[in-house]
Amino acid sequence: MKNVIIAAYARSPFTPAYKGELAGIRADDMTAQVVKRLISESDINPNDIEDLILGCAFPEGEQGMNLARLVVHLAELPISIAGMTVNRFCGSSMQAIHIAAGAIKMNAGEAFICAGVESMSRVPMGGFNYMPNPTLYQRYPQAYMSMGETAENLAQKYHISRVEQERFSLLSQQKTHTAQQKSLLVNEIVPITTDKGQNITQDGCLRPESTAQGMADLNPAFIKNGSVTAATSSPLTDGTAAVLICSEDYADANGLDKLAHIKAVAVSACQPEIMGIGPVIASQKALQRSGLSLTDIDIVELNEAFASQSLAVLQELPIAAEKLNIDGGAIALGHPLGATGARITGKAASLLQRENKQFALATQCIGGGQGIATILEAI
Amino acid sequence: MNIKKVAVIGAGVMGSGIAAHIANAGIAVDLLDVLATENNNRNAIAEGAITKMLKVQPSPFMHPKNAKLITCGNIDDDLAKLTDADWVIEAVIENPAIKQSLYQQLDSICRADTLISSNTSTLPLSILTEKQSDSFKRRFMITHFFNPPRYMRLLEWVAPAELDPNLLKAITEFADIKLGKGCVQCNDTPGFIANRIGTFWMQTAVLEAFNHKLSIEQCDAAMQLFGIPKTGVFGLLDLIGLDLMPHILSNFKQSLSSDDPLYDIAELPPQIESMITEGYTGRKGKGGFYRLQSTGNKKSKESVNLLNGEYSASEHFKIPGISHKPEDLRTFLEGDDKLNHYVWKVWSDTLTYCAELIPEIANNIVSIDNAMKLGYNWRYGPFELLDRLGTKWFTNKLTLQQRPIPTLLNQGKSLYHTEAGSLQYLDKTAQYFPVHRAKGVILLADIKLQSPPLLHNPSASLWDIGDSIVCLEFHSKMNTLDPDSLGLIQSSIELIKTHYKGLVIYNEAEHFSAGANLALLMPAIIEKDQETITSIIRLGQNSYQALKYAHFPVVGAPSGLALGGGCEILLHCDAIQAHAELYMGLVEVGVGIIPGWGGCKELLRRCINLPKQAGGPMPPIAKCFETIALAKVSKSAQEAKDLLFLAKDDAISMNKDRLLADAKARALALAKNYQIPQETTYTLPGKTAAAALDLAINTQHLSGKASDYDVEISRHLANVLTGGDADINRSLNEQQLFDLELQAFVHLIQQQNTLARLQHMLKTGKPLRN
Repeated sequence: MKNVIIAAYARSPFTPAYKGELAGIRADDMTAQVVKRLISESDINPNDIEDLILGCAFPEGEQGMNLARLVVHLAELPISIAGMTVNRFCGSSMQAIHIAAGAIKMNAGEAFICAGVESMSRVPMGGFNYMPNPTLYQRYPQAYMSMGETAENLAQKYHISRVEQERFSLLSQQKTHTAQQKSLLVNEIVPITTDKGQNITQDGCLRPESTAQGMADLNPAFIKNGSVTAATSSPLTDGTAAVLICSEDYADANGLDKLAHIKAVAVSACQPEIMGIGPVIASQKALQRSGLSLTDIDIVELNEAFASQSLAVLQELPIAAEKLNIDGGAIALGHPLGATGARITGKAASLLQRENKQFALATQCIGGGQGIATILEAI
Repeated sequence: MNIKKVAVIGAGVMGSGIAAHIANAGIAVDLLDVLATENNNRNAIAEGAITKMLKVQPSPFMHPKNAKLITCGNIDDDLAKLTDADWVIEAVIENPAIKQSLYQQLDSICRADTLISSNTSTLPLSILTEKQSDSFKRRFMITHFFNPPRYMRLLEWVAPAELDPNLLKAITEFADIKLGKGCVQCNDTPGFIANRIGTFWMQTAVLEAFNHKLSIEQCDAAMQLFGIPKTGVFGLLDLIGLDLMPHILSNFKQSLSSDDPLYDIAELPPQIESMITEGYTGRKGKGGFYRLQSTGNKKSKESVNLLNGEYSASEHFKIPGISHKPEDLRTFLEGDDKLNHYVWKVWSDTLTYCAELIPEIANNIVSIDNAMKLGYNWRYGPFELLDRLGTKWFTNKLTLQQRPIPTLLNQGKSLYHTEAGSLQYLDKTAQYFPVHRAKGVILLADIKLQSPPLLHNPSASLWDIGDSIVCLEFHSKMNTLDPDSLGLIQSSIELIKTHYKGLVIYNEAEHFSAGANLALLMPAIIEKDQETITSIIRLGQNSYQALKYAHFPVVGAPSGLALGGGCEILLHCDAIQAHAELYMGLVEVGVGIIPGWGGCKELLRRCINLPKQAGGPMPPIAKCFETIALAKVSKSAQEAKDLLFLAKDDAISMNKDRLLADAKARALALAKNYQIPQETTYTLPGKTAAAALDLAINTQHLSGKASDYDVEISRHLANVLTGGDADINRSLNEQQLFDLELQAFVHLIQQQNTLARLQHMLKTGKPLRN
């Protein structure tokens, strides 16, 4: 069977929804710019690309139709590239990578663009026409539970105090700020050009001025007398990310960079009301499939949907602090739902290179009660 | 001249407030202040004023977007750019030299046909125009706005004889029609009209309160009987700022002759001086005569004891058995305790002073009455109040006290009377002259003098306002709606059908309508009398529906509050001509119910028809749900458009006095080729949408923003707005929406929590969150 590798990774800046610089830009337009740059910088012959698989959590409105195929046209790619839009909520673009990996393994293509996008400014969470099944809602309301409530549930279940959540969040802010100060994020960011010719180059969600006291002064965001606040939740974000997935043979034959092998993948499901714990089983399944144990892993990208959720996962998956989200995470950087999977997988691959490590795990929780994980190995 | 651009110089409280109000009229305005030297922003002072105004409540702006019509600048850089201004308003510090120097610069910069005016409240025209050229005097006048400029309707003006009459006409018409002001001509005397009389009245009331050893609550409660706003005298002084009083009094002391009665009393009592020194300067300071004290989450009101300066809990003082009726007021003024003596002393001195000021400060009593009504929010002008008390009764009482009778009153004639259906006022020559109304003003008060109503009952009347248009007037307490009001709607429709072209729904009370008369519903609610409750809901629904589908146009013309059932009747009109100050909303959830007279049905229709929104069935439902569930109330007519209570084509009158004429014109225009609206059909998603709203309700509940009972009310509201058992592939008609409203209403009204909310509202006037 063919080896599957990640050949390139790029993303847009991540900026806060509504008030950030990307709020005025359509999801398809920003994705096309990132994909175009990913292809041009990777030196791949675009005619060799089989499919553009695009993750999006709320594929409606401007993100509707088959967004992936439309991005092919917007990025002026060869007409021969197919397009598929994938929805697994926050795991959408990691799922896009898994689909491509599976296809390559079964000889259904050599090269794939796997991207993800979310304009949370322009398509609200839940979409414009949220219409739950009334029978299911009555019988099993947690299927529709809000994410904030699930974060509170985990805080309660795992006895995670507000102070612990704030400490975790402050650390995320500090790590991300340090990475930005040291220009460690520059290489992965593709500047987005507005139709007025303005270039957007910097992540905008960070709050480097955050302090423990400032965080402690905030009101709970979701439940009166709860412990989860805006500071300990990932912000609503606009952004896009993309990776180039191909077979190792193809990369070798065409002189492409090789960031990492995709060693194993997994998805899992859990109770919707504690959806944030999803990474635990998904990671354990992926580890088992790769024949590795958690201690073998050198780099972990765990999506920080909420501090309480990340801390709950860490109670089940004891990951050393120095391996975890070393350039910071979504609490500081932002979490454009459909884009995050591609970001953390691409980031884990590039960190293996930068840090000269062997194994990486990228994993995230998914609304509705799911987890997804990818294990990478340096080449 | 058409005023298209205005400039205001001076971005203090008055200047910036005037600029905001000009922007409220949709007119571009430059706001300049002195050059700011800090922080590299040369326009920081004017910009800071705008930022501050956007945060203040009640807002100087009728809509935040109006702030964009103001261009900030500074005098050094931007004065020379004022060549495009049609009107320049100076609102700088009250210093003659600074003002005169500014006028000289403006005179050389501005176009020859630009009017320059001062907003001075203390400096006479003679000083402002001293040493100025004749050409300057042809384009200069005083235009004195009252604070806050958006809300106070008075504009006093003083003009030099040389002023170009065309400019005067353009400015006063602009102030009247575009800014909604009541323009009152004043003579060039200290404090003009309103502040001269207002200061005399306040100062008398304060000094006599000390003399009579009364509590401030007693004094303020007694003043309210005479049509003075709830603040009374002491509450008003807290609002103005006690620290301003020494300046105001010393100005009068310097500018009035020593035989003026105000000159004698223009001294600040030492107790008030001490309060100012201690920082008790009124609402902007630590408090004033009244203060709010916080203990934990609770705030309590305290009042100062004038005798010892100590604060204690305010008493809710009521004067039993005395209403606003003239005979009650006379009885009160003839009483023998110290409060009766106090009130007689304050009003007899004030009214006598007013009578003696004709013709010194104004040419006639109408100007003085208007100034006090529009500038101090008195319900009656001083001469109207004298007429209510009876001039003969008043002068007899003065005579008994061996006090001189002012010339104007010495014949004991009424100050106003009606001659051949028109209102006339008594002139200083003891002759009557017609009260002048500006062109384009129709007042129901004048129409009432001309002929009896076409239909009448205790809650409503129907008036012929000419040109085959009739006016439906509500006149119950707060214009609450009851079976009488609804009954008159039905009989009006029958009459109009055969004899008239159109209907305007309008009244001249402070508020259009506070909604359904809940007190009247209470017995049925307590008895859980479903039949009566159902019949009242059906009566309202049928009446409003009959208005909507009448064979003639119906124009609603609201001003002030239009809440609950008052909002719902307007939503059924063909068009609304609203006064700019409109506080409109479906606030039923506050009393534990939902709109039952078609409010849900009509607002939902407007939300569905809104063109600029995301497609699909949910966005209009969500918008409508949010507006009703949160009991949103517009803070202006402009905001009512955002909330869809007013339609895009509905018009706004800035001047309340022009509202009826504007509404009548609208009705006449609609009457040409009038077509009955088509029945609305609704395509609603039913239970799935209700589940989506329920998720939102749950989120609000969890976060503590919605109470347990808010959740229950919201669920019933959601059921109505989503169509109950509807399916997206079947349509509903209006009657089905009415039925859903009724079903929800009847259920909620029988709940103990609703009863508690209703009783709390009736008792305190405030909503209960249970």
